[in-house]
This record gives sequence, C-alpha cells and structure tokens, in this order.
Amino acid sequence: MFARLPLPSQFDRIIITGGLVGVMVMGPILIALVTLYMMSRITGGEVVFYLASVVVLGGAIAAVSLSNLVHSALSLIATLMGVAAIYLMLLSEFLALVQILVYGGGVIILVIFGLMLTNAQDDPVVLDGSQKPFAFGVGAMICGLFVAAALLAQWGPLEANLVPFPDFGKRLFGDYGLPIIIVAFLLDIAFTGALVNARRAEHAGSKEAAK
Amino acid sequence: MDQAWILPAIPAVIFIVVALLGRLLPRQGDFLVIIGGLTLVALVFSMFPGFQHAYHNGHFAPNGANAFAFNWVNIGDGFFTIQFSTYVDAITMVMLPVVTIVALMVMIYSVGYMHGEPRYFWYYAVLSLFIAAMLTLVLAGNLIQLYLAWEGVGLASFLLIGFYWERQSAAEAAKKAFITTRIGDVGLLIGIILLWRATGTFDIQSIIAAAKAGAIDHTYLTVAMIFLFGGAIGKSAQFPLHVWLPDAMEGPTPVSALIHAATMVVAGVYLVARFSPVYAEVLIARDVILYIGLTTAVMAGTMGLVANDIKRVLAYSTVSQLGFMFVALGTGAVGAAMFHLFTHAFFKALLFLGSGSVIHATHSQEVEHLGGLRKKMPWTTATFVIGSLALAGVPVFAGFWSKDEILAETLRGAPMWTYVTLAATAILTAVYSTRLVMLTFFGEPRDHHAYDHAHESPWIMLAPLVLLATLATVAGFFALDQVGQALGFVGGIGQLVFLEHAHPFTEPEWLLAGIATLGALAGIGIGVAYWGGDARRAVAAREWAPDLHALLVNRYYMDKLYQGIINNVILGLAGLVAWFDKRIVNETGVDGGAQTVGYFGYRLKFLQTGRIPNYALGMAVGMVVIAVIAFGTQG
Amino acid sequence: MIPLQNFLVLSALLFGIGFYGVLARRSAILILISVEIMLAAVAINFIAFATYRDPKAFSGLVFALFVIAVAAAEVGLALGIVLRLFRERRTANVDEASSLKW
Repeated sequence: MFARLPLPSQFDRIIITGGLVGVMVMGPILIALVTLYMMSRITGGEVVFYLASVVVLGGAIAAVSLSNLVHSALSLIATLMGVAAIYLMLLSEFLALVQILVYGGGVIILVIFGLMLTNAQDDPVVLDGSQKPFAFGVGAMICGLFVAAALLAQWGPLEANLVPFPDFGKRLFGDYGLPIIIVAFLLDIAFTGALVNARRAEHAGSKEAAK
Repeated sequence: MDQAWILPAIPAVIFIVVALLGRLLPRQGDFLVIIGGLTLVALVFSMFPGFQHAYHNGHFAPNGANAFAFNWVNIGDGFFTIQFSTYVDAITMVMLPVVTIVALMVMIYSVGYMHGEPRYFWYYAVLSLFIAAMLTLVLAGNLIQLYLAWEGVGLASFLLIGFYWERQSAAEAAKKAFITTRIGDVGLLIGIILLWRATGTFDIQSIIAAAKAGAIDHTYLTVAMIFLFGGAIGKSAQFPLHVWLPDAMEGPTPVSALIHAATMVVAGVYLVARFSPVYAEVLIARDVILYIGLTTAVMAGTMGLVANDIKRVLAYSTVSQLGFMFVALGTGAVGAAMFHLFTHAFFKALLFLGSGSVIHATHSQEVEHLGGLRKKMPWTTATFVIGSLALAGVPVFAGFWSKDEILAETLRGAPMWTYVTLAATAILTAVYSTRLVMLTFFGEPRDHHAYDHAHESPWIMLAPLVLLATLATVAGFFALDQVGQALGFVGGIGQLVFLEHAHPFTEPEWLLAGIATLGALAGIGIGVAYWGGDARRAVAAREWAPDLHALLVNRYYMDKLYQGIINNVILGLAGLVAWFDKRIVNETGVDGGAQTVGYFGYRLKFLQTGRIPNYALGMAVGMVVIAVIAFGTQG
Repeated sequence: MIPLQNFLVLSALLFGIGFYGVLARRSAILILISVEIMLAAVAINFIAFATYRDPKAFSGLVFALFVIAVAAAEVGLALGIVLRLFRERRTANVDEASSLKW
C-alpha cells in the first residue's frame, strides 16, 4: 500500500528536482521583472503579482500534466499558496490566511490520504484520457472567452480598497449569519455523508471478502 | 320543508355504511336500510301539514319553494353558476309518498324474497343508493342536480338489473338498459344546455319564468323542450326507446317493482310535469309527447297480450301505462298524469311483488308452466287479482279513477280518434291483465312439478302485498275532494294534485266513467273467455292469425331492427374508426413514432459510453457554444 | 496599482487549466485536484471584484469564503466516493466506472 509513497530519500529528490526546475523557470522571469522594475516600467506590486502568477499558473499546469500523482498533488500546493499570495495582493489578508489554513492544512492532506488509500498496482500508467485534445480545445476556448470578456469590458474607474478585519467580521456574522449557519450544516452533512459512504463500503468489502 | 335535503341524505349515508360495512353487520345491514325507509316515510308524511299550511297561505311563488340553496360551482361571477337547492311543490309532494312508501314495501318484501342470496348487503346498499338518487331527483331545484340524480337512478338501475351478473342475459340486459337510456339522456343533456344558453341559469323555476315571459325564441324553445323530452323517452321507456324495459326484468323482482314500475320509470313523467308550464307554451312539443305516448301505449299493450313471461307482461303493461301518462301530459292534463302515476305506482308495484311471490314459490316465470295457483297461494292470488282489477280499470279500484281522468282529459284536449284509440288500449289493458291472472292462478296446473313445489310466501312478503293491495284499492279515492277534506286537506288532495287545470273533482263524469267501466268489464270478459279454463280459444286465435302473433311476439321486430342497425351501421362505422385508429393512428402515428425513436436510439446508444469524462466534455462543449452565442449576441 | 484585468486574466487562465485537467485526466484524485484549481480561479474572481468594484459591501469576500468552505466539503465527500469506488472496483480510474451505459 505504501509502495509508491515517497520515502524520505525520494522527498529529497523531489525537493531537489523541484527546486532546480523552480530556479530554472523562475530565475529568468525574476531577472526580467527586476530589470523592468529598475527601468520603472512596472511597480513593485506588479513584480510580486507576476511572480505569484507564475507560481500559480506553473503549479496548475504541472498539476494537470504531470504523470506522477504525488507530483501533481505537490504542484497543487504551489498553486494554492500562490493563490493565497494573490489574495494578499487583493488586500484580503483574512482570506489569504483561510486559504493557507484550509487548503494547505486540510485539503492537501486529504488529497494525499486519498492517493495513499487508492494507490493500487493497476493504477493507470497513462493518467490522461483519450479525449485530451478535445479537453485542451474546450479549456482553451473557455479561457479565451473569459480573457476576451475581461479585456473587452469597460470597467470604469477602479480602485482597490482595503477591507478592515472588524468590518468583514461584522458583515460575515451579521448580514450573512444565516448563510454561515447553512454552510455549517452543509459541512456537517458532507462529513456525515463521507463517513457513511466509507463505512458502507467497508461493509460491502467485508461481505465480498466473506464470499 | 326547508330541510328537505335530509330526505336524500339519509339513504345516501346508509348506502355508504351498508356498502362498506354490510358484510360485517348483523343480517348484512338490511335492517339499517329498512329503518331508513321507515324514517323517510315518517318524514314525508310529517311534511304534509307544513306543506298544506304554506300552500294555503300563498307562501309559494308561484307554487313551490326553493330552499337549501348554496352555490356549488360559480364560474365567471354568475356567468356559470350551479346551485344545490331543493324545490318542493305539489308535484314533489305527489312523488315523495310514492317513492318512499313503495320503497319501504319493497325493502320489507326483499327480506323474504332475497333471503340467502349472495351479495345480500350489496342489494340493500344499491337499493338505498337508488332511493337517495330518486329523492334527489324529485327534490332537485336545478337542472344539473336533476341530471346528476337522473344518472344516479340510471346507475342504480344498471347495478340492480345486473345484480345476477353471473348470468349472461342479466349482464346483457343491464348493458342494454343503461345504453338505451343513455341515448335519451344525451337528449336531456342537450336540452339542458340549450335552456342554459337561452337563459343563463340552471334553476328550473327561473327557466320556467323566462319561458312564460316569452324571453326565449319560440322555435328554439320547442327544440329544447323536445330534446328534454328525449330524456323522458329514454328513462320512461317510451317508443322508440322502450326496448330496454322488458329486458330489465332480469333484475330481482322487487327491484322491478320499485325501479321499473313505480319510481324510476316515472321520472320522465315527473320531468315533463315539472316543465309543464313551459310545455304549455310550446304546443308542438306537447303534441310530440301526446303521440309518442299514444304509440307507446298501443304498441306495448299489444305486445303484452302475447308475452309469456309473467314479468314481461307486467313490463309491457308498465310501458303502456306510462304511455297513458304521457298522453295526459300531451293534452296538458298534468294533474291526471300525476294522479295516474300515483295510483299506478301502487298497483303496479303490487303486481310485480305478487309475480315475485309466484316466482319465489315456483321458480318459474313462464305463464305456460303455471296455472291453478289459487289453491296453493290464496293471499298472493287475492292481492294479484286486486292489482289486476286496478290495472284493468274496474270501478272502485285505484286505476279506474286515474285512467278515467286521463280518458276524460283526452276527450277534452285531443282529437276524437286519440280518445278512441286510447279507450281501445284501455280495453286491451283489461284483456291482458285478465289473461295473466287466468293463466297464472286459474285453470288447471300445466306444469305439475312447479305446481307441487308451490307454496304460499312467508308473511314478510305477504304483508307488503296486503298493504299495497289496500292502497291499490283506496288510492283512487284520495282524489275525491270529499275524501281529501275529510282527511284534513283544505280543498282536497285533488287541488294539490291537479295543478294548473284545477277543476273540482267532486264527482266523476258519469258518462265517461260508464263507458270506461263497460270497456274494462268487456276486456275482462274477453280475457276470461279466451284464456279461462284450458285457453282453447286463445290457441285458436293464435292459429287464426299467425303472422300477427309472430309480429307481436317479436315485439314488432324493433329489437331485431335495432340489433341490425347496431350490427351493420354502428359496427361498420366502428370498424372503420377502429381501422383508422389501428392503422393510421396506432401503427403509423404512435408505433411509427416510437419505432423511429427506437431506431435512432438503437443507432445512437453507442454514443453513451458510460464514461463520466465524456459526458463532462459534452456538457462543456455545450456550455462553450452557449457562451459563444451569448457573447456574440451581446457584442 | 495592479489593474483589475490582470487578476481576471490570471483567473481565466487558471480556470481554463483546471477545466482541461477535469476533462483530460483519468484518475479521480487528479480530477479532484483540477476541480480545486477551478474553484481557486473562481475565488480569485470573487475577491478581485469585491475589492475593486464593491469596497463598501464586499459581498464577494463572503462568497469567496463560502467557496472555500464548500470546496472543503466537496473534497471530503468526493474522497469518500472515490474510496468507495476504489473498494468496489479496485481502481480510481473514472473511465472504468462506465456502468451507466447501455
């Protein structure tokens, strides 16, 4: 079961490889950005934004294209942390924190657990389905549509504003009190559902084993 | 009076109770039905003083009262309103005692007659249902309610004719009765719709008022009223829809007495009487009624002359007497018709119950197999003879008074030849009723097996016979003003019964009465002469005119004609429609569509890989297409 | 000051990548990862609009929080289903779970 879980030595290799790839990709970009900044073509904020974007997009591309499940999951971490950085750029510290806590602390762990538990020998060697070209086309079209929509629209005067923590809290637990409670129920139900599902599966498995 | 709705409510509730719980109740719940019947009789009689009081204080406008009205359906704020209301007037007050008394007699009688039958509780339940529907019918203040009750009695009749549905002929007869009356009912419905179109209301009194005020076009009204009479033709078994009633004798005999002699079949008379003020406006429609009634009376009377089944003879006689009533209605003599309805109900119910007693004792209905029963069944014989005398129109007995009244009205209000024909039919009535009595109770027993098994019926069957015989004897006197006044009715019952043409009925018109009496006695004489003893002369008469006999036995070939029409025309048409339905609608339309879809489904099913990513891709493509379209149209 | 369009384009790209992943991958776990990427893209959009267009009410922030919460619930439940699938079929390959077909 743990056959394909990366052992510490493998972790080392992953970290080294990832680091090398990161430096090789990020280095030139960083240099370019810093150069642009020096020439005052972009602001400091934009430097950080583009760096974060590279991390996010690079992680996402790696997550959907790597053929090793564990690598994909680890790439997802990079993406989600980059997204947290983007949140910070959008002046939403609280959500950035939540993002790190929930995704970095919870979801990734869950995903890796899932990987461990379903890591069978007959896992598909080829992780991509036969409809890959279609998927690429559709993804590109949707992406293109959104980009076009974003760029073509007339947005009017725009200004980023910091939302103070206390205001956010009041809003969240004042005006949105009922939805929060509903979300709490949703989480509860999902938790119960996951439990029941897993337990039933256990029963069915034992029955089949008995047979 | 205002609470008249209780009358139909009682048997309706009893119907539900007995139909649902009858199997569980002791004696299968028949006592409930009988108690209900007793209550009804008591209630009806308790209504009379109040009715008298209201009548003489002019509380009725014009001569009845709508009570217990509530809106049942109201569409478009008065555009289409159906009320539930009860309406009580003199006609209702004649019908109510007839229905309740005969019903009670039949209920009691059935305890003996139906003893040990399967589905005993069901019999009583449907009996109760029938009474509920019949009382609703006579109390209905509005045409939709009347129509509902009209179909309700038809349903009860259907269920009871087909009570022995294991028997093929009974099932066939039930179908025949239902379908034949339906033909008339469609006419009734068309009439109701026409009247509603013209007046915008279903309320009977409003319609009558509108018709009297001349608010409806005369031709239109004539057509509408003839359609309305179509309903009466079907229900009251008039020519040309009379064919169902003789077959309806497949039902249990007490049912024949109640439904097919005393109450349901006179619903048509009741309907026409209820609308008599309107019919007085449209004389053509009234002539239609008159001549259809006359035709029916003559035809049914002649057919009754040759029928061999004891119940069929009575059935033809019923049809014939209903013809008499319609003749009276056709001359505008509503009172005479209602009076004959009143007396006829009693003596015909008596005759039917008497014949039931014979059938009960001998298990035979064919007069050919009976004879000489007077020694074995003295009570039945005595009551049956009384009933026959009443039917024949011998003085003192009830039938004499009412039939004489009809004949007098015919002479007064119709051509002479009508009167002559009707009088001849009255003589015919005497002949065939005498024939029935002679063949059944007198002479020598022809079938000794049946004769040996014959026995007098139990008292529970004889008691209603005796009671009805009493009524059949004295019911005629009620019409005499002196008797009515003696009973406490100011102005006599006659004034109640004779509505518009209220002429003082203090004494019969002696000349006409004499002629009628002579005719009745002559008829009886002929009957005795031909069928008394060994009926030698009757056989001779049959051999003398075999064609005529065959014509009558075959009921003027009308059943065959109808059957032929059904076989050739209707079934041919049905075959055509069926072919169209089968080939065009079904095979080309429905099946063709299904096969096309099925073919494409078969071809396209391979698109369904069952792989969720494929579906997701399809969904995504669709989404992109929609998004592109939306984006393009938005610019 | 970073323009709003930058965030929107980033979000669009991220969404497209996630979409591609959902459609192209065969392993249920990888599909789940791709869905997470798409949800992150949506959340970025929400927050960007909330910060730039709606600074007074900032409903978008609340919605982003809800998106994160729902995503957490979804991961938990979906993993339960994946585990079940794996137990029944000994595989996490969605292509093999094709009993919905004719």
